Amino acid sequence: MLLKTSLRSFLAHKWRLVLSLLAVVLSVAFVAGTLVFYNTATSTFDRLFAATASDLSVRKAQDELTADSPGRASTVPVATQQKLAAEPGVEAAVGNVFSSSATLVDPATNKVVGPTSGAPTLTGNWTESPRKSVDITSGHQPQGADQLMLDADTAKKAGLGLGSRLRVIAESGTHDFTVSGIVTFRTTNPGAALAFLDTPTAQRVLLGTEAYTSVELFGDGSRSNDELKTAALADLGSGFDAKTAAEQQKENSAGVGSFLKFMKWAMLGFAFLSAAVGIFLIVNTFSMLVTQRTREIGLLRAIGGSRSQVNRSVLVEGLILGVIGSTIGIGAGLGLAVGMIQLMQATGMNLDSSSLQVTWTVPVVGYAVGLPVTLLAAFFPARRAARITPMAALLDHAAPAEPRANRIRAVLGLVVTGAGVAALALAAGSPGSTGGLLLGLGLLATLTGSVVLGPLLVSVLVRLLGGLLPALFGPAGRLAQRNVVRNPRRTGSTAAALMIGLAVVIGASVVTSSMVGSMTSQIDKSVGADYVVDGGHGALTPAMIDAARRTKGLDHLTEQRNVPAEVTLPDGGTLRTRLAVSNADFLRDFRLPVATGSAEAVFSGGGLSVGQDFADEHHVSVGDQFAVNYGEGRTQTLRVAAVIKTGNQLFDQRFFTDSDTVANAMNGQLPLTGVAFGTASAGADKAAVLADLQKSLAEYPQLVVKDQAGYKEMVKSQFDQLLAMVYGLLGLTIVVAVLGVVNTLALSVIERTREIGLLRAIGLSRRQLRRTVRLESVVIALFGALLGTALGLSWGVTARAVLSEQGLTVLTIPTGTVVTVLIGSVLVGLVAALVPAFRAARMNVLAAIATD
Amino acid sequence: MTTAASAAHLTPVFEQNDVAARARQVTKAYGTGETRVTALNAVDVDIERGRFTAIMGPSGSGKSTLMHCLAGLDSVSEGRIWIGDTEVTGLKDKQLTRLRRDKIGFIFQAFNLLPTLNALENITLPMDIAGRRRTSGGADRAWLEQVIDTVGLSGRLGHRPGQLSGGQQQRVAVARALAARPEIIFGDEPTGNLDSRSGAEVLGFLRRSVDELGQTIVMVTHDPVAAGHADRVLFLADGVIVDEMHNPTADSVLSRMRRFDGKRTS
Repeated sequence: MLLKTSLRSFLAHKWRLVLSLLAVVLSVAFVAGTLVFYNTATSTFDRLFAATASDLSVRKAQDELTADSPGRASTVPVATQQKLAAEPGVEAAVGNVFSSSATLVDPATNKVVGPTSGAPTLTGNWTESPRKSVDITSGHQPQGADQLMLDADTAKKAGLGLGSRLRVIAESGTHDFTVSGIVTFRTTNPGAALAFLDTPTAQRVLLGTEAYTSVELFGDGSRSNDELKTAALADLGSGFDAKTAAEQQKENSAGVGSFLKFMKWAMLGFAFLSAAVGIFLIVNTFSMLVTQRTREIGLLRAIGGSRSQVNRSVLVEGLILGVIGSTIGIGAGLGLAVGMIQLMQATGMNLDSSSLQVTWTVPVVGYAVGLPVTLLAAFFPARRAARITPMAALLDHAAPAEPRANRIRAVLGLVVTGAGVAALALAAGSPGSTGGLLLGLGLLATLTGSVVLGPLLVSVLVRLLGGLLPALFGPAGRLAQRNVVRNPRRTGSTAAALMIGLAVVIGASVVTSSMVGSMTSQIDKSVGADYVVDGGHGALTPAMIDAARRTKGLDHLTEQRNVPAEVTLPDGGTLRTRLAVSNADFLRDFRLPVATGSAEAVFSGGGLSVGQDFADEHHVSVGDQFAVNYGEGRTQTLRVAAVIKTGNQLFDQRFFTDSDTVANAMNGQLPLTGVAFGTASAGADKAAVLADLQKSLAEYPQLVVKDQAGYKEMVKSQFDQLLAMVYGLLGLTIVVAVLGVVNTLALSVIERTREIGLLRAIGLSRRQLRRTVRLESVVIALFGALLGTALGLSWGVTARAVLSEQGLTVLTIPTGTVVTVLIGSVLVGLVAALVPAFRAARMNVLAAIATD
Repeated sequence: MTTAASAAHLTPVFEQNDVAARARQVTKAYGTGETRVTALNAVDVDIERGRFTAIMGPSGSGKSTLMHCLAGLDSVSEGRIWIGDTEVTGLKDKQLTRLRRDKIGFIFQAFNLLPTLNALENITLPMDIAGRRRTSGGADRAWLEQVIDTVGLSGRLGHRPGQLSGGQQQRVAVARALAARPEIIFGDEPTGNLDSRSGAEVLGFLRRSVDELGQTIVMVTHDPVAAGHADRVLFLADGVIVDEMHNPTADSVLSRMRRFDGKRTS
């Protein structure tokens, strides 16, 4: 019986529920789509790794400290491969040569070939192994010192084919090849570029020695992989490391997985935010439905319906909405996942959309998002419905005005907001982790408080700006103004939905623009160098450094290397870090803010610098001795020569030391240079020197060569990219919020049908009517935007203060973004009003007046 | 049938400037073919300027349809209608809106007022919509004060409709209709929702606005007492004007109505 009434009521009002349904569908679709996409991507990579992994991969055992230092690939001797091939149970032992630090360049255009970010470019030797990830689809395998084979996707993207010339820039130098063949991935192409040489050429170009980077064993089936591993390691003795197929797979998946997992959680986060925004929309819908049905509910009560029955009937309606919305949403999520896969293909990661992975978690999570959202949203309207008395059936049509935003609301709202503001103020005064905690609390409290206070603020704002609308827009202005405040709760929650999205946008943009501002000011303050040469993914080879040094007008070029090291502190603790190794020229390029000690002493044999906060934390002062381990048994003792002030991202948490000193300890085998800084000679034209420097390094298109202004621009554009991603994801939240405005207006228009009929009868023109609806919409949107901006600014400013010790020394308010948001909100209001205004104007006057 | 014929014959013909609204051969039909329902059938009517006309008839007689057509709220199937010198039939929505705004006042049975505006704002709403300043022009202002005085609302101008009784609400509606000085006021059962005392009050104001302010009023009603306040009563049955009565009383209207009922049941 109960279900029947709910179902009937649901069907009767189905058009009024369309936008609520859409809000549920969008949120659930985003959640389901993210999960399906994640599952599909992970399983694709799992299959790829499973299909290509050898039974056992043998490498030279490496000290963890040296494993990731650039330019020092560890190798397996050819003899080892022969020894392994002779092992019992081994069908084939393939010697592999692979490097991810070589760059492919099209000599015709001098442009980098292959992915420039994300996936790697792998250059290696072509071998006949039982398990290959690629097949030769045209041409033939590379033979001799000038042939190379390229994967089809990369070739297509770069416009290369058989016979094209391709350059490989490796640490050994620059080598030119002709494309002899094209290979195509058997399974999904993860987005990497692959280039194959013949084995002797690969050894010469990539390793500079006749050896392998790994030996891949394929068993004949007589022994398990673990048995192979035990036998191989026993046979080779210490100094080798072997990984079975399962171990390799796990390692590979973990690598890809961490990126995908980050994406998954980011997208889920935004999906949940938009679901939260959707709650406001659904609350409004159900509130309005309950109000419109006051008499009907009164009648139900008069003929003996109980409060709880009325309450439940509204909740069940919410449940029906949730079930339908979630079901459609899960279906739409599959479509969204296909869309995301296509999007990833555009960025080079080729996933297979024909093998969507829909696990049981997808529907479970889908309903777990959709149902609570609708039930929660229906909860308060249901309670209000239950309070309707049987007397309501007898009253005139005029729906009782919803209770005015009351005193409890005011007190509660002010207390919560006040607590939030206090928490933010405290947070701003206490950087660090307590500040972070306070920031989080303040964020939550101010958000909640603003939502609670919203309806009151609507009344206050309209009272303050009361005369403005009628004065500017005449009678339409007055009508719109009154409509905005006739139901403050409805206006408040509609605006709150918009507020949330915009607050996050503004907060994020304050933080990122402060990051850019701080970085810029720190560069201005502490960088004396005119130019920076950055190796990007690879390192700077001596040939590149020499080429740069030959530039006319360049006074000097300072190399900086990152050397992995384990430092033993005087208090006995150890620290894994990378030492920033340079020489005395460094002090001509950077102004080190020394607290105690001397910067010169850092680069004059055996010196080391530490940061102020590190020194404070570990009670270190100038003169203390550190034992430093570079791995492979190379150690030395360094003495603290300077303590550097904190608050500059360029220097914070860095340990500077002298390159000659470190080279001594490492037997002259320093890792390759990561980045180099240059300064123009006195009197030289800096712009001309930059152009010359770029020309000197023109044959290395993978390098980033910038002057200070260009470098700042690059830093800024990186932050802009991050911000664009955040904005894109927040787009969903804002779309749902805009739907909320449309929803409120559309339902209000229906609710006010008789009023509209009356107004039209006494002479309000269609144009004036449309303007009334539009103005109401713009006021709601602008109100939400103002609240959101205020909230976002307070969050951003506080977050900046909390992060001030992490280098956010300068507060930059992105006025452009703020102005854009406010202007944008007016546009949003106009767009949201389009359909409701049109419908209002189209109403038949007589029919509208006669509406019950 | 004889009454219908004689009624048409009886309709007096006035000089044009004595006529506030005219209908000629107005037919209003809904649907087509077999489901066609004729609400008005070739009706001719003249509404005299400065007089109080009541339209009566049993439900379904077409009295409300006639009023809606005269007021330009509803379109006609055939025939022509004028309000003053303006032909209503054939006007586009924009012109109709202007006509309603500038030349016509309305009083509905219920829901006459916007709940968000106070009494004064409701009264001046048509002028606001037209862009006329209610403060400008001493004549307008004096008129407004006179109207408000006439309906006796001076003390309640700041109240919202929700704070007024049903009778007070209808008085505000009357004041609104009068305030803009329209060519003609249409009332659709204006006292239908009121108790007899409030109803009599509102009818009294309508009467006075005709006598003292020279207003033209057309009122649809099924209440003989209400019709008794009019100068002239038109009787409608089955979409045709069947009779009319000048200077009616409640009793004479009632006995005329009884003849309808008798005829109907016979």
